[in-house]
Amino acid sequence: MSSTGFLGGAKDRLLPVSVPFRFFLGAVLFHLAAWAVLFGAADWLAGHVGGPGPILAAIHLATLGVFAMTAIGASYQLLPVATRRPLARDWPTKVSFWLLAPGICILTWGMYAAEIAAMQTGAVLVCAGLVVFAVLTADNLRRAGSVALVASHGWGALAALIAFAVPGLLLVWDFGAGFLDDHSGLAAVHMVLAAYGFMGLLALGFSLVLVPMFALSRSLPQRPGQTQLVLAGLALTGFGLGWLTGIPALTWAALVAGAGAIGAYLWLMRTAMARRMRKRLGLSFVLIRASWALLAFSLILGAAVVTGLPIPNAPALFGFVLLAGWLLTFLTGILQRIMPFLASMHAAGASGLPASPSSLTAEMPLKIHAFCHFGALAVCSAGIVLDQTLLVRLGAGLGVLGALAFAGFALNVLWQLKAIRAGA
Amino acid sequence: MSDVVPGRHWLAGDGLHVDTRGLEPPDPMVAVLWHLEQPGQNGPVIVHLDRNPVHLFPELVERGWLYRVTPEAEGALTLTLLPAPKDPA
Repeated sequence: MSSTGFLGGAKDRLLPVSVPFRFFLGAVLFHLAAWAVLFGAADWLAGHVGGPGPILAAIHLATLGVFAMTAIGASYQLLPVATRRPLARDWPTKVSFWLLAPGICILTWGMYAAEIAAMQTGAVLVCAGLVVFAVLTADNLRRAGSVALVASHGWGALAALIAFAVPGLLLVWDFGAGFLDDHSGLAAVHMVLAAYGFMGLLALGFSLVLVPMFALSRSLPQRPGQTQLVLAGLALTGFGLGWLTGIPALTWAALVAGAGAIGAYLWLMRTAMARRMRKRLGLSFVLIRASWALLAFSLILGAAVVTGLPIPNAPALFGFVLLAGWLLTFLTGILQRIMPFLASMHAAGASGLPASPSSLTAEMPLKIHAFCHFGALAVCSAGIVLDQTLLVRLGAGLGVLGALAFAGFALNVLWQLKAIRAGA
Repeated sequence: MSDVVPGRHWLAGDGLHVDTRGLEPPDPMVAVLWHLEQPGQNGPVIVHLDRNPVHLFPELVERGWLYRVTPEAEGALTLTLLPAPKDPA
């Protein structure tokens, strides 16, 4: 018995390791930058309601730098495997990275320094990178031979991408020209469509395969998955129409539909957990499970913002729980599973056998990251509610430490991969 | 595993056959690993797949199983699995 057939015939669907990992490493660096900017601008967070400045920069370092980079790197690698259709070409993936990475740097610098020209340049580069991603992904989804439900979520995410990118460009240009009547309202729609729409639908769709795969659970039932997609689509559409028409009932209907979508998602995830073969899920699932609770909490806070409940600094708290709470927690949990996993598939040593994912995983940096990440969430949230800059800065400092530890984990994966390949 | 294992399986002279063709991911991986984890399972296990199980390979390595990939027609393939020899050290 040999393993000489390892990945034989799969190379058509398995991209070079440099493709997903350049996005993941970008995400790791932007993760560090996002917390560092928040640390420096802690006194701006609690009262933040929009507008250029360090908080807007930190938000986009997280959303575009961490979330979008992670989602795009994972999509390029995982979608062709799931849909059984290879990407038409590899080189556009590199083009999208080299548009996105500098674009995010320029855009967020422009936001930090309130430099309109830099914001506009960065926004155009970022949108160009997203267009390349959208075209590649749409081509792959169009040819999808299986996983129809995941593909449907992918289509929804691409629609949300267009729906948040166009307002994003308008908002950037409005900083200079001031032509929008309701800048803050459109900014809210932009954030909701980006976070719950683009990232949310990708998270909900990929969860249908990734969570059962990591937990070793059978594939999930289709009907609740279809329900979560339809309700999420109704929620996003209703929220957008509610802003466009000014009819509060549409916003409320959107919240109800959003709650239904989250309910269906949580039921599916609970089903995956109940049927799993793998009893010890490890630290990554502590993060992933916490993210599920934070997703539900974010919607409750969103409803509190809509109703005007007297929660101090509710808009900032909602944004923080949505972005740092749900999405960052979920994605760092997923990343710490898929990075060693993907590296393992590319790491055949001198024996011809690939390295095991566990041999590529450094546990201590991940423990430090988890401790610091949860500490950052709790302390920053307290700082926002109590309007205490010191607490926000302390929390962001924990976030920086956690991000450094996570970077140590990611670099170790790459270091091990390089060492194994060098010995092959 | 609370439900019946996905896919079909049967014993033949050359080992246990597991047929995962037609299953949606991650059911093929779950089916293979479920059979490998049954008490006394020492192989060979012959797995029939209609897609290359790229995410299964790291799990096999983690569990100490060796595999041989035999391509079949139209993208299908057969995996032959055996436990790796124990390290005498």
